[in-house]
Amino acid sequence: MADHAIPHAVHDPNIGTTGLDNRKMGMWIFLGSDCMFFGSLIGTYLAYKGKSLSGPTPYEVFNIPLTSYSAALLLASSLTMVLALAALEHNRVRTAALWLLATALMGLHFVLNQVYEFYTFATHEGLRLGTSLFGSSFFVLTGFHGAHVTGGVIWLLLIVSLAMRGKLDRRDYTKVEVAGLYWHFVDIVWIAIFTIIYLIP
Amino acid sequence: MEPHAAAAAPAAHGAAHASVRTYVNVAIVLAIVTAVEVTTLYVPGIPKSLLVTSLLLMSALKFFLVVGFFMHLRYDANVMRTLFVGPLLIAILIILALMALFSAYILLPRPTL
Repeated sequence: MADHAIPHAVHDPNIGTTGLDNRKMGMWIFLGSDCMFFGSLIGTYLAYKGKSLSGPTPYEVFNIPLTSYSAALLLASSLTMVLALAALEHNRVRTAALWLLATALMGLHFVLNQVYEFYTFATHEGLRLGTSLFGSSFFVLTGFHGAHVTGGVIWLLLIVSLAMRGKLDRRDYTKVEVAGLYWHFVDIVWIAIFTIIYLIP
Repeated sequence: MEPHAAAAAPAAHGAAHASVRTYVNVAIVLAIVTAVEVTTLYVPGIPKSLLVTSLLLMSALKFFLVVGFFMHLRYDANVMRTLFVGPLLIAILIILALMALFSAYILLPRPTL
C-alpha cells in the first residue's frame, strides 16, 4: 500500500511545478485581483465623500446597530467556516456539513439584512443609485460586496448538497479550503467597508 | 482511496494550520475588537483624528487576524503570501491615489478657500 502511495502523491494533477496546489494558488491570485477591484470602489467612495449636491447624507441614513449585527454575522460565519474545514480534515463529514450550512445561513442572513437596508434607503430615505454621488458610490460598492456574499452562499450550499449525497470526504479538503478562502475574503472586505464607510465620520 | 487521501491532506502540502482552540480565541478577539469599534463611536469628546486612527488600526488588526489565522496565510507558502499582499498594497495605493486626485481627506481638515 505504501508503495502505491508515493507515486500517487507525486502525480497529483493539482500540484504544479512549484509543489503547491494550483487551485489554491489560482484562488489567491483571484483574491489579489479582487482586492484591487474593491480598492477602486472604496477609493471612489472616499473620493466622492461629502461632495454630493443633493439627497440624504450617510449619517442621516445609516443604521449602525443593524450593520454592526451584519458585521458580527460575517465574523461568526468565518469561525464556522474554519470549524467546518477542521472537521473535514478529520473526516467528520456530517459535522463539516453542519458547520458549512451554518456558514451559508449566516451569509444568507447578511444578504437579507442588506436587502432590507437597500429597501429602506430607497423607499423611506429617498436614496437611490442615481440620487447623488453618495448613492451611486455606496450602492455600487456594497452591492458588489453583497453579490460576492450571494455567490459564496450558493457555493457553500453546493458543497453541503455534495456532503448530503455522500460525495464529500477528506480527499476534498482543498476544494472546501478554496471555498473557505473566498468566504473569508468577503469577510475581510466587509471589515474594511464597515469601518471606512459606516464607522468613520 | 488512502493514497489519494494522503495526497489531499493538508500536511502533505506543507500547509500546517492553527488548532480549533486558536480559531475560537481569534473569533473572541474579533468580537471584542468589533464591540470596541462600535462603542468608540458613541464616546463623546474624542478628537476626530484619534477616532479615525483608532478605527483604522482596529480594522487592520481584524483584517490581519482573519487573513493570518482563518485563511491560514500565516502558515502558508511565501508565494501565496506574495500573491495576496502585493495586490493588497496596490489596492491601498489606488485608494490613496483616488483620494489625492479628488482632494479627499479623512484625517486632515478640508482646506478652506
